[in-house]
Amino acid sequence: MNQDSNIKLPKWPLKFLRFFVKKEYLEEIEGDMEELFLENIQQFSHKRARRIYTWEILKLFRFPIIKNIEINYSLNHYSMYKSYLKTSFRGLKKNMLFSSINIVGLAISMSVGILMILLLSELNSFDDFHIEKDNIYKVTTSRVQGMSGNEVHLSSSSFYIGNQLKESVPGIEKVLLMNVNELSADLRTAKKAIGINGFYASASFFDVFSFKLLQGNPQSALTNPNSIILTKSSAKKLFGDTNPIGQTIRVEENADFQEGIITGVVEDPPVNSHMRFDVLVSLNTLEKPVINEENNPNNTSNGLVYVVLNGHTTKEEIENAMATIMNDYNKSLEHPITHLLQPLNTFVTSDVYNNGMGPMFSQRKINIMLGLTLIILLSACFNYTNLSLARALRRSKEVGVRKVLGANRFQVFAQFMVEALLLALLALVVGLGLFFIIRPEFLNLPNPAAIGYDMFSLEINYINLLYFLLFAIGIGLLAGFQPALFLSKFKALNAFHDARKTKVFTKGINLRHVLTVFQFTTSMGLIICAVLVHKQYKFSLNYDLGYQTENIINIPIQGGYVDLLENEYAKIPEVVETSKSSWVLGAGGNGMSIGMVMAKENPKPAPFLLNIVDDNYLNMHELAFLAGSGFLKPLGEGQSPNHIIVNEEALKTLNINSPEEAIGKTIIYNGAPLQIQGVVKDFIRIALTKDIFKSFAFVQTNQVEQYKSLNVKIASNNITATLKKLEEEYKKLDLLHPFEAHFYDDQIASVYEQEKTTYTLISFLAFLAISISTLGLLGMAVYTMESRRKEISIRKVLGAGMRNLTVLLSREFIVVIFLSGLIAIPITLYIVDTKVLNEFNSYRIEIGFIDSLSGVAIMIIVGALTIGWQIRTAFVKNPSDTLRNE
Amino acid sequence: MKKTKLGEFEELVLLTVAVLQENAYGVEIKRELEDRLNQKLSVGSIQSALKRMEQKGFLTSMFGEATKKRGGKRKRIYTTTAYAHRVLSEIKDIRENLWNSMPQLVHDLKFI
Repeated sequence: MNQDSNIKLPKWPLKFLRFFVKKEYLEEIEGDMEELFLENIQQFSHKRARRIYTWEILKLFRFPIIKNIEINYSLNHYSMYKSYLKTSFRGLKKNMLFSSINIVGLAISMSVGILMILLLSELNSFDDFHIEKDNIYKVTTSRVQGMSGNEVHLSSSSFYIGNQLKESVPGIEKVLLMNVNELSADLRTAKKAIGINGFYASASFFDVFSFKLLQGNPQSALTNPNSIILTKSSAKKLFGDTNPIGQTIRVEENADFQEGIITGVVEDPPVNSHMRFDVLVSLNTLEKPVINEENNPNNTSNGLVYVVLNGHTTKEEIENAMATIMNDYNKSLEHPITHLLQPLNTFVTSDVYNNGMGPMFSQRKINIMLGLTLIILLSACFNYTNLSLARALRRSKEVGVRKVLGANRFQVFAQFMVEALLLALLALVVGLGLFFIIRPEFLNLPNPAAIGYDMFSLEINYINLLYFLLFAIGIGLLAGFQPALFLSKFKALNAFHDARKTKVFTKGINLRHVLTVFQFTTSMGLIICAVLVHKQYKFSLNYDLGYQTENIINIPIQGGYVDLLENEYAKIPEVVETSKSSWVLGAGGNGMSIGMVMAKENPKPAPFLLNIVDDNYLNMHELAFLAGSGFLKPLGEGQSPNHIIVNEEALKTLNINSPEEAIGKTIIYNGAPLQIQGVVKDFIRIALTKDIFKSFAFVQTNQVEQYKSLNVKIASNNITATLKKLEEEYKKLDLLHPFEAHFYDDQIASVYEQEKTTYTLISFLAFLAISISTLGLLGMAVYTMESRRKEISIRKVLGAGMRNLTVLLSREFIVVIFLSGLIAIPITLYIVDTKVLNEFNSYRIEIGFIDSLSGVAIMIIVGALTIGWQIRTAFVKNPSDTLRNE
Repeated sequence: MKKTKLGEFEELVLLTVAVLQENAYGVEIKRELEDRLNQKLSVGSIQSALKRMEQKGFLTSMFGEATKKRGGKRKRIYTTTAYAHRVLSEIKDIRENLWNSMPQLVHDLKFI
C-alpha cells in the first residue's frame, strides 16, 4: 500500500541521532531526515539512500545541535521512591495470584540460598580464630606407597622434615610436631574415670595455635614428658571445682604411658576448629624408640608437622627448601618423597589427603551444592521473568499513563525494578521462615566426612543478615531487570491505541520457551538423579555380602574383659552363640588392620586386609568355604598362631592356582610361617564403595585386647528384654564405656549414610525444583486462560468440546515436556553414571528404562494436573459471562 | 551598522527562509538553496546555520503540520524577524553602495 511501511530507516544511525540531538530539535530533524530519505529512495537505490542517510546524520553532529550534558538537579528523590514503593505495593496487591506465585517460588529458592550462605560463611570461618591463621601451614607428603604404584597424598609427614625445617630453613617462625594418631584412652582419678581423645603435641603448640590456655604456662605446659593438658569440660568432669593443676592421673588402655601430671587447662576447641581434642599430651611422652623412629625421613605416616612462616617468606620458597633437604635421601629411594605446604584455610575443604584429621567438607561437595542452589535460584528468577513478560500486555496501559504524565524511560524502569526488589524482599522474609523449617532437617543429615563432629550450627548473626539482604537485592535485580527493560520500552501512544500490536512474544522459539525448558530440564534431571541414587542405596543394603548377618548383634568392646563377658552371655538362654573379631565385616571399624603377607617360595610381600577372629567367627557368620575349614580350636596362652584363612582373591596374589592346592601351603605373615587352613569364597570386605585391598586373611590371636567386637547371635521374641540382659552383664564388667549394641544390618546401613544423605538432598532439591517449575506453569496457564478467555468462550459456543480445548491449550506444554526430556535424560544419565555411581565400583545398579523416564513421567503428571485444573476452570465457566461485557 | 555577525552562508540561508515564507522548513530550505547554488548541501550545515541564527535572533520558528512523508513528525517553520530584515537590507545597502562606488572602468572593460 504505502512504501514507508516496508522501507526501514537504518536503525543504528537513527538511535545515534536520537542520542545526541537536543530534545527540542529532535522531532524536526528526525522528520527532515526521514523526508530526505524517502526522497532519496525514489532517486537512488535503497542501499545508497541508507548510506546518504547515515552520512548526513554523522554530519549533523555539530555544536549547535548536540545536547548539553544534562544534570538532573531534582532533589526530591525521596518522594519519588516513596511513590514507587506505594504503587509497587498496590501493583502486587492487585495481582495477588501472580505475586504469591512469585513470592512462594522465590522464597523456596531463597531458603536454600540462605542455607548456602550460612554454610559457606561457616566453612569460611573455620580456624579463623588463630592469630597466625594466614601463616600456618601443614607439611604434606606425596609419595608412591604400597604395591599399586599409585601416588598417595598424605596430610602427615616425617618428624625428620619438621626438625630440619626448624633448624636449617630461614623464614620459618615456629614448628609444631604432633602425632597423627589420636590418643584414645581412659583417664582415671581416685574417684572418677572418663574416656578421652586427644593428641601428642610438642611444646610449641600454643605458639602456633591460639587455643586459649586458662590455667598453666603456655610456654612450658607441654615441655616435660607425661604432661597432660585437659580441656575445660574434661577437667570439670574429672575434678569438678577443685584445681586440677599438678594432680596425677592414671591413663588406662594405652600402651605409651600410664601416668601423667596435669599441667594446664585449655578452653574447649570451638566448633569451627579443624582440630578437636579432650586432652593434649606432651610429645616426648611417647617412648624414645617411637620418637627416634620418627626421625627417619621415610616414616611419613605418623607425624603431623605444622609450621608458621614469617609474613614475607612464600610457600614456594619453603617447598623448594624442603625439596633440597630431601634431595640426598630421595636418591636412595625408588620413588622420591615430596613435601608440600597446605595452607590453613584448606584444612577442612581439601579432600586430596588420605589420612586427614578432623571434620571435612570437600570443595567438590561445596561446588555441587552451589551449582544446584544456583539452578534452583535461577529457576525461581525465571518464573518472575516469565510471568512479568506474560503480563506485560496488561501493564502496557499503566506504562502509557506514566509516560503521558511525564515519566521518562528510566523512571518507568525504576518503578518496575522497585517492584521486583519489593517482591524479592518479601520473598526473603518468607524464605527465612522456610529456612528455619529445613534447618534442623539439614543439621540432622548424617555427614560421615565430619567424623562425628558438629561442623555447622547455621546460626544467623548480623553480618549474615546483611548478606541475606544483599542476596535478596541481587535476586530482585536479576529477576526484574529483563521485564523492567521490556516494559519501560513501551511507547505511550502505542500503549493505548495499539496495545495488541505490541509484540510480547514472537512466534517460534523465544526467551520464555527457553526459560521454561530450562526449568523442566533441571526438575527432570533432579528427579532421575534422586530415583537412581535411591535405587543404588536400596541395592547396596540388600546386596548379598557373602555371609550371614541376621540376628547378629555386635557389641564394641574396650578392654580385656571380652572372655568374661562371653562366658556370662553364654548363660543367657536367648543367646545362640557368640564370636569375637577385631572388626565387623561389611561395616569396618577401628580394629581394621593391614599386614604384609608373602608366599614362602616367592618372598614378595603384598598387603592383606586382616581380621583377627576367634574359632567360631567363620562358622557363625556362615562364610562359604571353597576348600579347607575354619579355625578348629582357640589359640592357647603362649602359643603363636600357625594357621591362616584367606579369600579367593588372595590366591591370585600368592600365585596359587586352585583352592585345593592352597590348603596346607605355608605363607609368611608377621615374620612367622602360617599354614593355609581354609579358602573362603570372595565376599564384600569393607563396603561396596571400598573395593580396596582385595586380598584378605583371617588370623587368630591370643591377645584378648585385639578383639574390638563381640558378635552375639540371638534368638528372641523379645529383643528389648534380651538387650536389657546383655546390657546388665556388660555393665558389671565395663563401668566406663556405655553399652552399645548394633544390629548387624543397621551397621551395614550406616556405611551407606553418605548415599542416603546424597539421596535426601537431591530429592529435596528435586522437590523444590518441581515446586518452582509447577508454580511457573500454573502462572503461565492462568495467564493463557485469561488472555484467551473470549476465544475459549466463542469456541465453546460454536461447539468445541473438552477434548478440543485440551488439545488447544496443552499443545505448548507437551512440546516443552518433550524437549526437556530429550535434554534432561541423556545429560543426567551421563552425570549419574560417571560422577555418582562410579564409587560403587562394579557393584552398581542397572539403569532401567523406567528409571530414565521417571523424571518425564512425574513432570507430566504434575503438569497435567496443573493445566487440567485451569482448563476445567475455563471450561465450566459460562461463556455468556465472558462474552456479555465488552 | 552594528556588528551583526552574519556569515556568508548564514546570509544565504536567511534569504532563502525569507523567500520561502510559510514553506521555510529544513528540507525545503536545503532544496531551494541547492537549486540556486547548484551544489549539494548537508542537512547538518543548514540545520546548524538555522539554529545559530535563531539564537542570534534572526529567526523565529514554530511547528507546522505533520505529514505522512515525515513519519508523523512535525515540520519546524522558520520565519525571519524584523531585525533580520533590517540587517539584510543594511547589508544589501552596503553592498550596493560599494558597487556603485566602483570605478566605471571595470564596467567598460567588460564591454570591449
